[in-house]
Amino acid sequence: MIPVAVLTGFLGAGKTTLLKRILRDPAWADSAVIVNEFGEVPLDHDLLAVSDETFVSATTGCVCCVLRSDLGATLLDLARRRAAGEIPGYARVLFETSGLADPAPILHALIGEPGLTGTHRLDCVATLVESVSGAATLAHHPEAQRQVMLADRVVLTKPDLAPDTAALRDAIAALNPAAPITQASFGALDPAWLFAPAERAIDPEPWLGARHTAGVATSIILREAPLPALALTLWLQALAEHAGPRLLRVKGLVELEESPGRPVALHAVQHLVHPLEWLDQWPSEDRRGRIVLIGERLPPHWPARLLAAIEEEVRSASAG
Amino acid sequence: MDQPQDPRRDPRGGRALTPPELRDLVADTLAVWEVAARPVIADGAVVLVAPDGTALRITAAAPNDLPIRWWLEKPDQKRPCTSVTGLLRSLRNAVGAGEGMFSRVKVARGA
Repeated sequence: MIPVAVLTGFLGAGKTTLLKRILRDPAWADSAVIVNEFGEVPLDHDLLAVSDETFVSATTGCVCCVLRSDLGATLLDLARRRAAGEIPGYARVLFETSGLADPAPILHALIGEPGLTGTHRLDCVATLVESVSGAATLAHHPEAQRQVMLADRVVLTKPDLAPDTAALRDAIAALNPAAPITQASFGALDPAWLFAPAERAIDPEPWLGARHTAGVATSIILREAPLPALALTLWLQALAEHAGPRLLRVKGLVELEESPGRPVALHAVQHLVHPLEWLDQWPSEDRRGRIVLIGERLPPHWPARLLAAIEEEVRSASAG
Repeated sequence: MDQPQDPRRDPRGGRALTPPELRDLVADTLAVWEVAARPVIADGAVVLVAPDGTALRITAAAPNDLPIRWWLEKPDQKRPCTSVTGLLRSLRNAVGAGEGMFSRVKVARGA
């Protein structure tokens, strides 16, 4: 499986600067790079100074709007050429989105594209937020909010220009309290931290104290008891049916009645559910099931109420 | 001595939603659809007025009505629903929220 890391961030956040620095590190030079530039004239190839063979510039539009299917084809073509020895081997793919990209459709492609899921593995989403104007950007641009909401890690860039980042950190935490935040000047950051595979286990604590920012709602469901698998299936369908694209992300760790003692990790981006991943055991002493949902303009108690109603009905039907 | 049992609760723990629970679920779901309507409890049912003025009434079906679990009533129609998800789908049509955001859940292919 070829690991894929997504590097995103709003216009001017410093994605290319960071990527350039990372690729200068010998340990990370063996990365294939896909850059989605929003414009007719590709610049990033020159800026990054990586080899032609393992660099793909996608300039026909914003990847989340136009290139979703092309992204899968590009990754598969790179993998085919690598296997055939036509290009140098590479250990991973780093995908830099355009600054205006909504990452959700990109994640859809990476975890749902036929043929891709057998060869590639989405490891993480790293989001850059520029320290000087980041708060205003988050306040005014839904794309920037979504980039933060979907992040596994957040990097504050240009902190030398705006040393006081407390308000910005609060704004980021309101959107995504679980993503660790660090800062980096001129791309100086340990790539092993930035691109490490995202944690599967969901820690509910950060979400319990989550604030809601305008239009964005976070819901958390904590459970002591296992859940019937059918209830989980019907609930996910109902969420997709009624919330549609406003449901941005679902992450969870739950125990199913049919699989006692082996919790399943649940990941979904909008209506696309990643295959459940069975863990051999609970990752910690905390054996509560927990599901975190991030959405736009969703009543915070709605997911839990919906799940409770469906679960009771499934249990009732089973008993009958 | 036997404890009095909740008639709604079955031996495995399943039970029908209480009217307040159903009202809260309906209220939240209307908000998800961005439909301006306020459900309230009246005579054990959840009632609301759709934006077009249609009076709607939701009642739990009697145990003998299985597999019907819910009734959604309009002035000239009584629609049976076999599940709470079916009820919400029927209610969505009844309040004119349409299927604008309809998406089916899709499971990504595994490795």
